[in-house]
Amino acid sequence: MAGIFDGKVAIIQFPGVNCEYETAAAAMSVGLEAGIFRWNDDPALLDACTAVVLPGGFSYQDRIRAGVVASKDRIMDKVSELAAAGRPVLGICNGAQVLVESGLIPGIHWERIDLALAPNVMSDREGYYCRWVFLRKEESGCMWTGSFSEAEVIPVPIAHAEGRFITNDELLAELKTNGQIVLRYCDHRGKITGTFPVNPNGSMENMAGVCNREGNVLALMPHPERATWLRQVPEDLPGAWGRKRRRAAGDPGAMEAEGPGQAFFSSLLLHAEADPSAPGGGIGKGGEG
Amino acid sequence: MRRFEDKVALITGAATGIGGIVRDVYCMGADVVGVLDPLRFGDPRGGKGQQVISIARGVVEGIAQYGNPLGVPNLGGDIVFDSGYDENCLVNVVAVGLVRQSRILRSRVPSDAADRPYKMILVGKPTDDSGFGGAAFASEDLAGEEEANRGAVQVPDPFLKRVLSEANKKVLELAWRRGVVVGFKDLGAGGIACVTSEMAHAGGFGVNIDLDRVSLAIGQYSPAVVSCSETQERYCLAVPDEIVDEVLGIYNEDFELPHIYHGAGAAVIGEVTGDGVYRIMSGGETLCEAPVDVITTGISYDRSRKSRRRIFEEPEFDPDRSIHDDFLTLLSSPNIASKNFVYHRYDSEVQGRAVVRPGEADAGVIAPLPGRSVGLAFSVDGNPFYGIIDPYQGGALAMCEAARNVAAVGGIPSAVTDCLNYGNPEVEEIFWEFAEGVRGIGDACRGIGLISHEGSPIPVVSGNVSFYNQGESGRSIPPSPIVACVGVVEDYSRSRSIRFKDEGDVLYLVGEPLDELGGGEYYRVIYGTLGANVPEADFLRERAQMRTVIDMHNHGWVRACHDVSHGGLITALAGMMIGENGGGSLGFTLNLDVFNGCGLGPETILFSETGVFIVELPGGIERDVLALCARNRVKLFKLGSLVSRPGLEVTAGGARLAAWDHGELQEAFMTGCRWIFGIERNE
Repeated sequence: MAGIFDGKVAIIQFPGVNCEYETAAAAMSVGLEAGIFRWNDDPALLDACTAVVLPGGFSYQDRIRAGVVASKDRIMDKVSELAAAGRPVLGICNGAQVLVESGLIPGIHWERIDLALAPNVMSDREGYYCRWVFLRKEESGCMWTGSFSEAEVIPVPIAHAEGRFITNDELLAELKTNGQIVLRYCDHRGKITGTFPVNPNGSMENMAGVCNREGNVLALMPHPERATWLRQVPEDLPGAWGRKRRRAAGDPGAMEAEGPGQAFFSSLLLHAEADPSAPGGGIGKGGEG
Repeated sequence: MRRFEDKVALITGAATGIGGIVRDVYCMGADVVGVLDPLRFGDPRGGKGQQVISIARGVVEGIAQYGNPLGVPNLGGDIVFDSGYDENCLVNVVAVGLVRQSRILRSRVPSDAADRPYKMILVGKPTDDSGFGGAAFASEDLAGEEEANRGAVQVPDPFLKRVLSEANKKVLELAWRRGVVVGFKDLGAGGIACVTSEMAHAGGFGVNIDLDRVSLAIGQYSPAVVSCSETQERYCLAVPDEIVDEVLGIYNEDFELPHIYHGAGAAVIGEVTGDGVYRIMSGGETLCEAPVDVITTGISYDRSRKSRRRIFEEPEFDPDRSIHDDFLTLLSSPNIASKNFVYHRYDSEVQGRAVVRPGEADAGVIAPLPGRSVGLAFSVDGNPFYGIIDPYQGGALAMCEAARNVAAVGGIPSAVTDCLNYGNPEVEEIFWEFAEGVRGIGDACRGIGLISHEGSPIPVVSGNVSFYNQGESGRSIPPSPIVACVGVVEDYSRSRSIRFKDEGDVLYLVGEPLDELGGGEYYRVIYGTLGANVPEADFLRERAQMRTVIDMHNHGWVRACHDVSHGGLITALAGMMIGENGGGSLGFTLNLDVFNGCGLGPETILFSETGVFIVELPGGIERDVLALCARNRVKLFKLGSLVSRPGLEVTAGGARLAAWDHGELQEAFMTGCRWIFGIERNE
């Protein structure tokens, strides 16, 4: 059995996740190989994987609170070990909740839970919210955004009920200093305002993606795998990506071009190619930022 | 398609509706790629308004709580409010699956069981007493004894279902790999007794079921409860002996069902026999022993019917009324105003296949096969007000509009399913409504026919009938046939949103508006009456119009397309100007002089619900457009060009009849029914 995830992106399938297949497809869209790792498979299978992705869904039914049960799962010991060794780890939506509950994000204090993904706060409604939003790339050494240009703005969909990053002021300052705030919610022009719907869940500082200090682990609330091809972008979206999508109408070939969310996986590829000798490529380039 | 009357527990009730129908599709070996929810609620401003509002919110919450964890995208649906549903709302659910034709599984014991031993495996949630008697409850009048009925609603669990679906995939892979045939069926009404007897009967076998081997939830249950309760999230498999252990291993060990959900798991509960006898054993006793066909053969009723005599009249237009103000009232009314905040409660992005999302166009579109241009379009429809005036037209028009919506995104209407919701069939007039609705749908399917295969009807591939939809007062719901249509799109990249695209593009009307405001929203909202002139389904005209619009898509001409339906032409234009999520930036002036030959007054042209299409096409192709319409024998009206100033204007004979700015239209449309769903402020 050993070796089936060697050189592959391992998508961890906890019971109840529901985005594992499209996440694998998104990783493969840039030429990476990917496989689905069932939560009770042998953890040693991950030793030589390229990266670990925790996909979205409702792991363990969101029992107690989103992500917490999966964060105690045996496989997370292996994920922590790999993360500590610099292996790229991405948690999307429910996967982000797992990373926060396990203390890997923000990872400033070893295994301490310093952040929370709290229930959405929206000005006129509450609960689950599914919609396309815009993200701006911030200054950060995060490995998962290595292929983004500075202050790049991309549309991606969110779909969650608990996506509001919160922490205390002290830690927030530290996150900023360390360059751990990787992506923030903004409007289609890149302008950041704290109010709904630009900030779709009330997240502090409009945080949408937070990485660890080393930059190899990213907790991301929006779903890049749902924005990996141009065909997935709604044509009524304002901004450059909406225009690009409208121009592709009538050309199914153009629809298969890259979408805005593919950049996370191209970043992984870039990273893996930079140092192909190490499993998962080189260690995160982030440092203290 | 399935329907559920939300009589007991709203959130779990709505969820159970999705759960059952989704299992039906999974157990054919299919991947479920989408659900759509047509909902019918009472009058939120009526005497039961508060109750109606809490029901509407509870149902939406239930769909969200169940559908979102399931990992199946929401592709559309609609909501109609009317006092006729005050005592009995409707929650219909459609589920769509994709399966390779050669891998369709049957819900029967395979014929191979004649040559080798087969076992019956029950998998899923531990059996409890939930839903005991549910099959009977679903078709009973509600006597107001809500408490006494509690327990009739099963508790669904999307988490367990998701894990089961993953495990099922592995089981089916195993069966294909080993070259054995399995039978697969979900447990619904009648529980273990129904599923095992039906699978045996369909295959021509008998079965012995041992209730002692059924995994039970904590509690004491009589054999009758164990065999007939409707506990959710269970499947039954007929599996040859040689792979039984491996199948049990996939469920119980690989996917750890007993570990991740208390009492869940897979177990052999019986064996297939060749004697055609259905036996249930418990505690060493035989509780049931009868020929299986005696158990499963249905009962045939012969109901009498009588047409209802009711006089409907057209209202007189009041010349002092303001078209400007009336239209804003109409646009903000519950059945017209945007429901986009409801769609945002549902996950329509999961699986990553969405191309056109709910509300962005007349039908939702997915790209099911990455790298291929083929698309699938989905729509649900059913206007109860047409059926009140004429139940035949109610059925026929539900079908026509569902097909029209699919054609509006370039899809060829290719198959339909229906949910026929009616009152008490023992009442002759109600049974007549039902029979007329069925006749209407059937005629429409034949009359429109498959556009891709001249002479073939559009097939009705499945469906559901729901009777006894009435409340304490004995008042039945309006006749409510709801039709879902699936369309095959040659090239999904040509399926556009309804929003206006480019300045200078030309709007055309494909088809001619007639004096058909009966049952329409304008009469209901402005004059408080249904009127009499219900749209009359003309299948050949519908077919020609649909073909024309599909041809326009295939020529690559269409920039936007929207059918005219609830609220008429001006409502459709406003929807195109604003777009589903607001923010449109173009405007249009409608000059009614183009309809001078039709002999209709301005209100009739603006608000008639005759089913036609508005298309936005680029300039410079007018000759080709005219030639296409002449070839297909459809009437075409050139309405004019889009302008850069957002807003709508209506003129006639050089005079301006009404004008609206973008802001007031958007405000009316986007915020009109927020209050019903507790959305407090504007975005």
